[in-house]
Amino acid sequence: MTATVSASGLHLRYGGTRALDDVSLRLTPGVTGLLGPNGAGKTTLLRVLATAVPADRGSFTVLGHDPGSSRGRQEVRRSLGYLPQSPGFHPDFSAFEFVDYVAILKELTDRTARHREVRRVLEEVDLGDVRGQRIKRLSGGMRQRVALAAALVGDPGFLVLDEPTVGLDPEQRMRFRELIAQAGEGRTVFLSTHQTEDVAMLCHRVLVMARGRILFEGTPAELTARAAGRVWTSTERAPGAKAGWRTGTGSFRNVGDPPAGADLLEPTLEDGYLLTLDDVDAEVATA
Amino acid sequence: MSLATKTVAESAAVPADDPRRSWGAVLALARFEARDLLRYIPVLVTLVLYVGYTAGTLFHQKDGVEAFPALQNADRATQTGPLLLGIALFVCVNRCTLRSRRRGTDRQFDVLVMEPWRRTVAHVLSVVPFAAVTALVVLGEFARQALRPGAVGHGSLLELTVGPLYVLLCGAFGVLLARLVPSTFAVPVGVVGLFVLSVFVSAGTSGAEWTRWLSPIVGETSTNTVLPSDLIGRPAAWHALYLTGLFLLLALGAVLASGGRTLWLKAGAAGALALTLAGAVGQSGGVSPELAAARERVSVSPQRDQTCVRRGGSTYCAFPEWTGVTGDWAGVVDRVQSLAGGTAARQPLLVRQRIEARYGLDGDAAIEPLTTAHQVTVGTRWGGNRVPEFAVAVGYVLVTGDESKGSELCDGRVVTAMWLALGGAAHPMADLANVRLDDSVTGSASVLAPTSGLSMTAGQTDVVRELLHRPRAEVTASVKQHWAELTASGVSTARVARVLGTEAPKGAKDCAEE
Repeated sequence: MTATVSASGLHLRYGGTRALDDVSLRLTPGVTGLLGPNGAGKTTLLRVLATAVPADRGSFTVLGHDPGSSRGRQEVRRSLGYLPQSPGFHPDFSAFEFVDYVAILKELTDRTARHREVRRVLEEVDLGDVRGQRIKRLSGGMRQRVALAAALVGDPGFLVLDEPTVGLDPEQRMRFRELIAQAGEGRTVFLSTHQTEDVAMLCHRVLVMARGRILFEGTPAELTARAAGRVWTSTERAPGAKAGWRTGTGSFRNVGDPPAGADLLEPTLEDGYLLTLDDVDAEVATA
Repeated sequence: MSLATKTVAESAAVPADDPRRSWGAVLALARFEARDLLRYIPVLVTLVLYVGYTAGTLFHQKDGVEAFPALQNADRATQTGPLLLGIALFVCVNRCTLRSRRRGTDRQFDVLVMEPWRRTVAHVLSVVPFAAVTALVVLGEFARQALRPGAVGHGSLLELTVGPLYVLLCGAFGVLLARLVPSTFAVPVGVVGLFVLSVFVSAGTSGAEWTRWLSPIVGETSTNTVLPSDLIGRPAAWHALYLTGLFLLLALGAVLASGGRTLWLKAGAAGALALTLAGAVGQSGGVSPELAAARERVSVSPQRDQTCVRRGGSTYCAFPEWTGVTGDWAGVVDRVQSLAGGTAARQPLLVRQRIEARYGLDGDAAIEPLTTAHQVTVGTRWGGNRVPEFAVAVGYVLVTGDESKGSELCDGRVVTAMWLALGGAAHPMADLANVRLDDSVTGSASVLAPTSGLSMTAGQTDVVRELLHRPRAEVTASVKQHWAELTASGVSTARVARVLGTEAPKGAKDCAEE
């Protein structure tokens, strides 16, 4: 599939920290997940791709536009919807006013068409009935949907979502997943998350990142397959396990290098993710 | 509806693939911000108060001095109305500009198409509707004054621009402050800083005239002085240029501070600085020698600039802008003269309009009485108390024959002069109170007139008050019959009272009886 977003050799340092270390990637239409521990550089990568901060080195294009020039950056921004981690709100604005405000900043100038578009995205995120309510009166989940509506307004081709399900209760998270899945139909969505379930349920591609580097790029199935033959069950916590915990049945679920004859289990995406991170830790330790 | 399903109409909302910046979006944002400003209580309250109060005064039936506005003063009177609105806008525009920062939406908005500097332009433009409303109110206020039947003189369009420019200036200053010091505490600190700066500038320059004009609204020490419009001498054009330049400088400064770096912005800021400096230098010129000479001329020899008309037996000489009021003056002269007796009843008078213009608008100096016989001074303000005050002058000129003798008048002739002035008035007791300095109708008091007034003793006041309560025709007949005796130098108040059939005053004596 043709890449809509591609990056090559992105480097960015904050003081002595390498926030991005030679990051290259290709994103295609649909939802791509970005997994990684805290401090991995996920937010930095998203902010670079969203043109919020420039990279020290490297280049990228979004929908064919190179943000290296002022004109290119404007064109990228025209194609962009960005939902940052912990988005801000103007609490005295109604949901409609807030999204309308964002729509104006996206240069949707025709008032009638803009208002129609604002109503549309608020309907999409199921806030049509409360669009006139002040944001300060909305629940946390509703506010997050207002932020998603603001990101979606103007029908951007590239949607950047930074941990959008953090702080939501399970029901709200499910509802949000549904919205993200809909948003991924026909556009490129890049979703940063700590939740492997989000990736498993939403993403057709996944990237794993740690220490500013991309460790893995592939499908969720491929990431899961990394743990094939490396998850087993035992009655006691296995000494050689990278991770092990007692499950609800009383037996231990172990992830790592199984002993011979171990009772292997079907791996999950989370197992693959943990092992990918563990492999890089081991490389660093060896180095 | 699925996120993926879009109608053709909806796609119209998607911005065109034009890489140029959309100024339509900036205007849309400015409209949004202007609407939001109305949600701020200080802006709403001050706007409603300003518009409401001004509308109230427009439609209120004015009487007194206000029914005869001098338009060269009415234009300046429009400048203080938007004072509070400007301050409210300064505070609230600052808060609106800081909204994204205060609410943490910067991260979302900084990656949107409209850059921060164009958002700053929108914040500056959000004040324009308020300036437009101010301009409409100012125009309405001035037009209403100009349409009053008693209006005289000419206003200055440039003086009328000060109110709207002040509003723009306040808004631009609020935006600039937000961009330079992104904290809501900057507003009070900025206000205190400006005050301290103005104090230092004033002290450092010993209160020089030019420092006064650095302030957006420049008032005058005296609000009573009315000069012919060509002698006003306010550098209205330079000041308007200064305010325009300063507004542009603050606005473009704010845009530059928020990242605007285009060539035209820098060139505009340089041009605005040049305008501001040119205005500041131009307005600090002070009074030109030609203007000083013209003011001297109208103060000392007003006849050279006046037009005279004859009405009845008397002549009325007015500066060109007041020729329409001579009929009102003649009405007063005829009324006063109709109560007089002897030759005074037919004595032709010369009523001359006079001003003391040598001190400009800051001066409220008294005018020296005329020393030529049968000449009466009238000022440049008319209506209200100025009418009975003029009547007093006519009255004592008819009694003494000379305006300069009015201040020396202390005997019983005071009663005759005051009767002449007030006897024919529609509300004589009210006029009696109005022409007396302390607004009393008993006891001794000074009586006001266009030049030097009179002094009334308590006894004279008692006699005049009694005369004003008696039938006018009866008193008029007595005055006419005993005119020679009533106007004789040295006639006592007691004698005048007896002649006119009132009770002679008890207690303090007048100068004729001492």
